[in-house]
Amino acid sequence: MANFEADDGTTRDDLVQRVALMEAMIAEGRQYTGRNSWIFVLWGLVDLAAWAWQSYFWRFGGRWAWPICLTAGVVLTLAGKLMQRRRQGYSSNDLCSRVMAVWGMMGLAMGIYVASAMWTHFDWQFSYIVGLLMMFGMAHAISSMFLRWRMQGLVAAVYWAGGVAIFVCNSGRATNVIMLFEMCIVMILFGLYAMWREPNGSGCKGGRA
Amino acid sequence: MTNMEREDGTTRDDLVQRVALMEAMIAEGRRNTGRFGWIFILWGLVCLIGIGESYLLPQSYWVWPITIVSGFVIQFIGIAMHRRSGNWPSENLKSRSVAAVWRMMGIAIILYAAPAGVTHTIHQIAYIAAIFMFLGMAHAISAVILRWRAQGVVAGLWWAGGVATYFVPRNYVITIYVVEMVICMVLFGVYAMWLERRRAVALELHHA
Repeated sequence: MANFEADDGTTRDDLVQRVALMEAMIAEGRQYTGRNSWIFVLWGLVDLAAWAWQSYFWRFGGRWAWPICLTAGVVLTLAGKLMQRRRQGYSSNDLCSRVMAVWGMMGLAMGIYVASAMWTHFDWQFSYIVGLLMMFGMAHAISSMFLRWRMQGLVAAVYWAGGVAIFVCNSGRATNVIMLFEMCIVMILFGLYAMWREPNGSGCKGGRA
Repeated sequence: MTNMEREDGTTRDDLVQRVALMEAMIAEGRRNTGRFGWIFILWGLVCLIGIGESYLLPQSYWVWPITIVSGFVIQFIGIAMHRRSGNWPSENLKSRSVAAVWRMMGIAIILYAAPAGVTHTIHQIAYIAAIFMFLGMAHAISAVILRWRAQGVVAGLWWAGGVATYFVPRNYVITIYVVEMVICMVLFGVYAMWLERRRAVALELHHA
């Protein structure tokens, strides 16, 4: 039988406790993602609304579709988070904080990137669209590594594959289709999946580092 | 006096221990960044050399692929030597998280840059801006995890560079690129290594 008593005096029970703690943190992290996955659904719908407005209702201020929808998305996200915080009053554990850091910094980077590109009218370039998908993929990939979550890793791969496909296809039509698929369908489906998968988690209440 | 005994039985000593553990993990994470600071310097120099070569050989299609592949080869050799020297840093949760951030950023940049190069899309302004944004995002996440202001400033500089590329005339984009590589890659790498070196010397003096 294996000797579980390490040189530093760590016993088998200590190791079991640590593993249990790690598993609990990972579970809490996934539950945290599940509780916040309405944001994915919201942004999928925001993108879908902006796309539909620009494509089918161009006459009704179509060129303002993206700025208006994106601003509305930011306002709704902030309002939703505020309500969620008030209602649940949760504190975060260390892993949840790291997942929050990933999505918070992605949001910040994305906001700066999108606003600058729209302001200077560079948002038609393929590399701009691919940049968006790569950033989403990166955030999902990092989060999936933190949470040991294969499904999220798969989502990251789908975003990255979409980015590569845009470069390879090199056409406006293909870019629109891929963009619509990634930003609306993948986003909404993953949001719904995460909400369904982790519905009643304790979130990060009273979590431990 | 405040009662530090919580309902779940957590005592003040438990809390102090946890804070100490967190601080130790953060310090270890920063030290690991310092130990791998040479990778920032390496890639800063690789990108600067690539720019220099592009100026000298403007017609050559192979300048960037060869330079980037050389960068990877040197990095792998460096990491292999690092491992063999027995000086491989210990890993805790935060160090692993930071490592995951940089690995995923590396994969994202490769998947972004390689097809862009093949399809000749790298001349687009948004291409450079996106790369700056990726790097800024990785630095920002790492800065939040390690509670490291200097790295947060570096993230801010990358993002500022990304915004600037959209707004400045095209001729100045290359200047921004060079400035970013020198400050945010080379100098940050030197700074991180210097911090780690200073800590090691202090530790030696303490033991002496």
